[in-house]
Amino acid sequence: MTTEPTREDVILEIDDIHTYYGAIHALKGVSLNVRAGEIVTLIGANGAGKTTTLRSINGLNQPRDGRIRFQGRDITSVPSHQVVKMGIAQSPEGRKLFPRMSVRENLEMGAFQRSDRKNLREDLDRVYTLFPRLSERKNQKAGTLSGGEQQMVAIGRALMARPKLLLLDEPSMGLAPIFVEKIFEIVREINEQGTPILLVEQNALMALETASRGYVMETGRIALADEAKALRQNEQVRKTYLGEGA
Amino acid sequence: MLVGLIVVWLLVNFFKDPSEFAAVFLIGLTNGTVYGLVAIGYTLVYGILQLINFAHGDVFALSGLVSFTVLVDWLGVTPADSTAVAVGGILFTLVVVMAVFATVNVTIEFVAYRRLRHAPRLAALITAIGMSFIVQNVGLALYDVDFRSASGLIPRTNVFEIGDVSYTWNKFMVILITVPVLVLLTWFVASTRHGKAMRATAQDRDAAAMLGINVNRTISVTFALAGALAAVGGVLFLTQFNMRYDTGFELGLIAFTAAVLGGIGNLTGAVLGATLIGLIQAFNEGLAWHAPGSDWTRSIVFGILIAILVFRPEGLLGERTPEGA
Ligand SMILES: Nc1ncnc2c1ncn2[C@@H]1O[C@H](COP(=O)(O)OP(=O)(O)OP(=O)(O)O)[C@@H](O)[C@H]1O
Ligand SMILES: [Mg+2]
Repeated sequence: MTTEPTREDVILEIDDIHTYYGAIHALKGVSLNVRAGEIVTLIGANGAGKTTTLRSINGLNQPRDGRIRFQGRDITSVPSHQVVKMGIAQSPEGRKLFPRMSVRENLEMGAFQRSDRKNLREDLDRVYTLFPRLSERKNQKAGTLSGGEQQMVAIGRALMARPKLLLLDEPSMGLAPIFVEKIFEIVREINEQGTPILLVEQNALMALETASRGYVMETGRIALADEAKALRQNEQVRKTYLGEGA
Repeated sequence: MLVGLIVVWLLVNFFKDPSEFAAVFLIGLTNGTVYGLVAIGYTLVYGILQLINFAHGDVFALSGLVSFTVLVDWLGVTPADSTAVAVGGILFTLVVVMAVFATVNVTIEFVAYRRLRHAPRLAALITAIGMSFIVQNVGLALYDVDFRSASGLIPRTNVFEIGDVSYTWNKFMVILITVPVLVLLTWFVASTRHGKAMRATAQDRDAAAMLGINVNRTISVTFALAGALAAVGGVLFLTQFNMRYDTGFELGLIAFTAAVLGGIGNLTGAVLGATLIGLIQAFNEGLAWHAPGSDWTRSIVFGILIAILVFRPEGLLGERTPEGA
């Protein structure tokens, strides 16, 4: 095990949150944290509550109980449009692009809340460097792109906010294997450029290879938390999430 | 087949009496622009909330009645006044009534629709119908059942006259006011920060919120725009026709049909649909050779609504979207 993180190290700290959809109790006490510079992955079966966890951080579904702190500030009840201003950007499940806007407009929307509009050009170039494909398609309507290209726009759009923490919800979902490799490569690259990432994935194998630490969710709770390497060796995880026969 | 018959009918009318045809065309165009101002309100609100705001037609009618109060009761503009006074009065009234009804519409959303945003659609729809009755009855309470009109303020002298065809300043004013309003609206939606926020929110509300857009405020801005445009329609209608508390019911349905015809959610579509409906109505009521006549206008307009919903629910300019919206 590693040493306990110091307080300054932890940039996101989720403490025992409970989130509901009406009467449905979706998160039943979730705690996790993300430290500066790392990639943390959150894996688990369908309906475990991974997306709900990210939506809770974003303020789209505010927890009824528990605390979320970002860089030491309590953001549990901060409205979603202000969370991004504080430095948390998300590439959501299902991409959620603006289908009738061009690729470029979608990317520019990512910088909507920023006051330093003059660096926009530079940031667009950074996204185009990460995803040269998007540069070729910048005037195409986002709704007409392939799934992989849409995923690139979703990640690029989140980067345009210059986030201090990036949330990625199943970036590999529905993509051809070659695209999956590529997306994970880019996730590592973004991280190496200094952005900590909370990565939600169904593709547990790739996620655990990419992340330094991981959490395993089961029906609204964190079932396991460990170093990614340790989770890869874990009997239970191997059986359930890495598809290795009993 | 049906389209062919209509084209033949229009052609025959055109060749029998070109000047009558042109005159009727201009009437249709003018009325269509008023429908367009109201249709845009339906389309803007539908685009962002997927809600048919049934109260919109009644907001339009009430704005027309209030503009009578401002223009005739307060400012005391009468047909005896000079054209300059009339124009000044109308412009002043426009500004006041636009501001008032932007506020009214924002209030309606805040009070009646906001809390129901995550409720089943039927709940919001019923509330919208309830709101329609409330606004209509406010009009009845304040203005009783009498018709109001401020026609004749702008002289019916001709802008141009070609043969028998003439086009009066009174009608041309409608176009002169509507076109800049539409240009401004287009610029607002395409280029301003609020406009971008509106488009983003209409296309994906969660994503918009995630990117830092204040969704509640953006929806308020949308209702403000819709209310202000309805008020422009109200003032212009008052300068052309009679209106009273329930005028908004039918005009609202016509404008809604126009919005659906153009492709609901699509701004250009709303204007196109409204122009077409204005023309259809004018041809039907104004052409001499075998026109069904005004008794049939409603049947025709709502026949169009049904035909579109059945055969091309996305409208003329709408795109088929995966969500079916
Ligand atoms: N909008 C909603 N209304 C009601 N219940 C919901 C809603 N969204 C999610 N849930 C429920 O909350 C629970 C957690 O869902 P969530 O989407 O967070 O799971 P997930 O781990 O992201 O699953 P997946 O891997 O399929 O994306 C599930 O039981 C789900 O049925
Ligand atoms: Mg999910």
